[in-house]
Amino acid sequence: MKGVKIPKHKKLTQNKKIRIYNKPKIVYIPLVSQNDTNITVMVKKDDYVCKGDILGKRKGSFRIPIHASVSGIVMGFEEKDYMNGYKVKCVVIENDFKEKVADKPNVKKHITDYTKEEFIEIIKEAGIVGLGGAAFPTYVKYDTKQKINTLIVNAVECEPYITSDYAIVEEKCEEILEAIDAIVKINNINEAIIAIKTGNDIINVINNFIGTYPKIKVHLVPNVYPMGWEKALIKEIKNISYDHLPIEKGIVVNNISTIYAIYEALKYNKPLIERIVTFSGEMFKEPQNILVKIGTPIKEIIESIGGYKRYNDISLVAGGPMMGMTVSEELIISNNLNCLLALKDTETKPPLECLRCGKCIEVCPAKLSPVLIKDSLQKYNTLQSLEPNRCIECGLCSYICPAKINVRKCVIQGKKNLMKGEK
Amino acid sequence: MKKFHFGLGPFIKSNNKTSKIMLNVVIVLIPIIIFNFYKNGIIPYYYHRTDLLGLFYPLIFVAIGVISSSFWEFLYDYLLLKKRNDELKETLLNSYIFFPGLFLSLILPINTPLYILVFGCFIAIILGKMLYGGFGNNIFNPALLGFLIIMSSYSSLISSNGGYLNSYEIDGVASATPLSQITEQIGSYETLVEPYGNLWNFFIGTIPGALGETSFMLCLLAFIYLSFTKTIKWKIPFVYISTVFVMTYFIGNLNGLGIWYPLFQIMSGGLAFGAIFMATDPVTSPTTPVGQILFGLFLGILTVIIRYLTPYPEGVMISILTMNMLVFILDDIGAKSRFNFNHTLISFVLAWCLILGLGLYIGNSYKTTDETDNNFKVIEKSVDNQTYIYTVSQKGFSSTIKSEITIKDGKITNIKILEGKDSYFSKLTDNNYLNTLIKKQDDIDNVDAVSGATVSSNAVKDMIINTLKEYAGDNNEK
Repeated sequence: MKGVKIPKHKKLTQNKKIRIYNKPKIVYIPLVSQNDTNITVMVKKDDYVCKGDILGKRKGSFRIPIHASVSGIVMGFEEKDYMNGYKVKCVVIENDFKEKVADKPNVKKHITDYTKEEFIEIIKEAGIVGLGGAAFPTYVKYDTKQKINTLIVNAVECEPYITSDYAIVEEKCEEILEAIDAIVKINNINEAIIAIKTGNDIINVINNFIGTYPKIKVHLVPNVYPMGWEKALIKEIKNISYDHLPIEKGIVVNNISTIYAIYEALKYNKPLIERIVTFSGEMFKEPQNILVKIGTPIKEIIESIGGYKRYNDISLVAGGPMMGMTVSEELIISNNLNCLLALKDTETKPPLECLRCGKCIEVCPAKLSPVLIKDSLQKYNTLQSLEPNRCIECGLCSYICPAKINVRKCVIQGKKNLMKGEK
Repeated sequence: MKKFHFGLGPFIKSNNKTSKIMLNVVIVLIPIIIFNFYKNGIIPYYYHRTDLLGLFYPLIFVAIGVISSSFWEFLYDYLLLKKRNDELKETLLNSYIFFPGLFLSLILPINTPLYILVFGCFIAIILGKMLYGGFGNNIFNPALLGFLIIMSSYSSLISSNGGYLNSYEIDGVASATPLSQITEQIGSYETLVEPYGNLWNFFIGTIPGALGETSFMLCLLAFIYLSFTKTIKWKIPFVYISTVFVMTYFIGNLNGLGIWYPLFQIMSGGLAFGAIFMATDPVTSPTTPVGQILFGLFLGILTVIIRYLTPYPEGVMISILTMNMLVFILDDIGAKSRFNFNHTLISFVLAWCLILGLGLYIGNSYKTTDETDNNFKVIEKSVDNQTYIYTVSQKGFSSTIKSEITIKDGKITNIKILEGKDSYFSKLTDNNYLNTLIKKQDDIDNVDAVSGATVSSNAVKDMIINTLKEYAGDNNEK
């Protein structure tokens, strides 16, 4: 994959301390996991829940639990905005600010002392999912009979604006390395590689601590987009291609923020109830990384950081400027929200006619032909041969388009049309 | 009141713009237009071959192309699509209405009457562009479609007007364009290049040809600039020109011609201009990288086929128009090959077989004509009831032998020497050599030469063989 150099916009939030916002009056815990709303609800109205209590569990094969992020009384259930653009059912809890935690089984003194089975059980029960944005259950990656040779820790963060992974490395580097070391020992992994972009300062932080861990290495990858994509990363570091999942080649890839979540789960038995979200963009008065409880309404957080610079022509974007989508102010913090951006709205002119310059084909990291997909949205057979399902929605095709056509939208539409046709 | 916008990402865009791409093309066309002004305006004016109007005529010609092209599109939008005000303005600004006319004026002969140019622009805009739904939807390159219609309907009118030659060249140059003689024979440095000076003139562009096409150097600079700024699909001209170079090198080499021959081929006939500007027209060329490479390969093959195997000397424009029709197939192959390269295998193998096969075939087809004995000439022939009498001449040892050979029903019945001053000539008649030859004419290679007069006896032998060939040719025609 060649990748494309795109503007970074990371200076807005880089090198700022992580701010903590942990005092929401009411939290709305979305009953959703990986866009799957098929959840068994385990609480009812007027129940008292402690922080970390299980509110529901996902049905089906990935039985990931959903935890309360505050202690208090369940006020009921409400539909709230979720970051995929739909409304989802949420458990409404009134915060009593006591931060009461239910009794938990004792944790082992040293995090390397767990067996593999215990390790998988803990990260499953803690509801650890990929914090990079996909929210794939982490325990599934380790719950395999196949020998894991390599753990790749993804600290690339190639989307512009987002710095939450950098921020956590700056503040929690020791803990992260300790966790990687534990994961390597517990799962009998040969080596761990931390992938960092060339020219990123966090390498200095990591180098300060890495000396005591012989199995952990740092690998610098080119500063291009979308380098953080699993497939591209593995190709770059290991020069290996795989079909569906990296485990086929004995590789597990975890986001560096996920590693820290695993650390907290192993060390303190703490479930995934808070995460770092980058609030950035030209239109916020004070862009910064904030540690927030899951279920906090974003409106409250935005007010706490001073609000917007101006109030018109803003795009509020969740999930990054390349892959994200606009959301309303009613959005709720969920475990897959890595950033919230307030951007100047630029799209005023309608797109021009497609010039057929082929630039979208040149840049596509998934080797698709976006312009041809755009042309054959209604032709099922042609569409099938163009395999739009390979699209990772990185947005480079739209980024590069000289006619300013949202090619990415067309390819996503192509995926949908293909699914409709199959039915 | 807060105001939010909604939509799907990405929310940051590159500074790529359609207008930037078009501007880059215009930038590189400016030196070409200036060179055209120098070659077709200033030089003839300097040598007093033309008046003040003639001085500026090349610029006027291009301007008329630009204006009429814009005019036709405006008229179509205004009258038929009924666009008005902002909508009309937007359409005219965003669909690059002047390009078809600009290109058309640059590929037409300078002696094309202006009304034909205006008509060509009409064809280019209406037939080539608007009927397909306007900018971005056309299948054929609009300018080339206009060119094809003009050349197929008015080529005799244009060539009687002087064709490609400007008023300075019209006196000095024998043949209209360097390539126009290639279909009959492979040519030599003396016939192909020397009438126009040397290869350097081809490089600079001071040879006869269409307004914008002659300067290989400016096209090359344009190619470098456009590739560097990522404006054009650089693979197409690169592969196209390379293919023509390789094939003509092959053909030239088989006929004992040097490296000048392929260089001559790629620097004439508007190949560079067509490859760099017309074949890379984004709308009508493949979008996939593999599609672009195949497009270039087949353009090269087609151009060579048209140049050598058809009566039309210049194949660039027709090749591009033909390949325009196949773009969707090439893109289909190109798109699939991105997942699995084996999909392209057949097309690449086909292309390479064609390059090799055609190169060999064309190269060798000239070889046979090249072998015909230049020393042999048919002076006269008469046919009388299956009896052919040839008066022929053949170069002998020190002079030419002239004789009359009678052939009846495929057999030589009589050889009469009319003229022969070779000193050894008498030895042939003394030894009854001629009669031996007539007797053993089916096995003439094994007839021994007369000792002491080998060259002369072989000359007579060759004369008989050549005459029999001529006779065979005459009889086949019937």
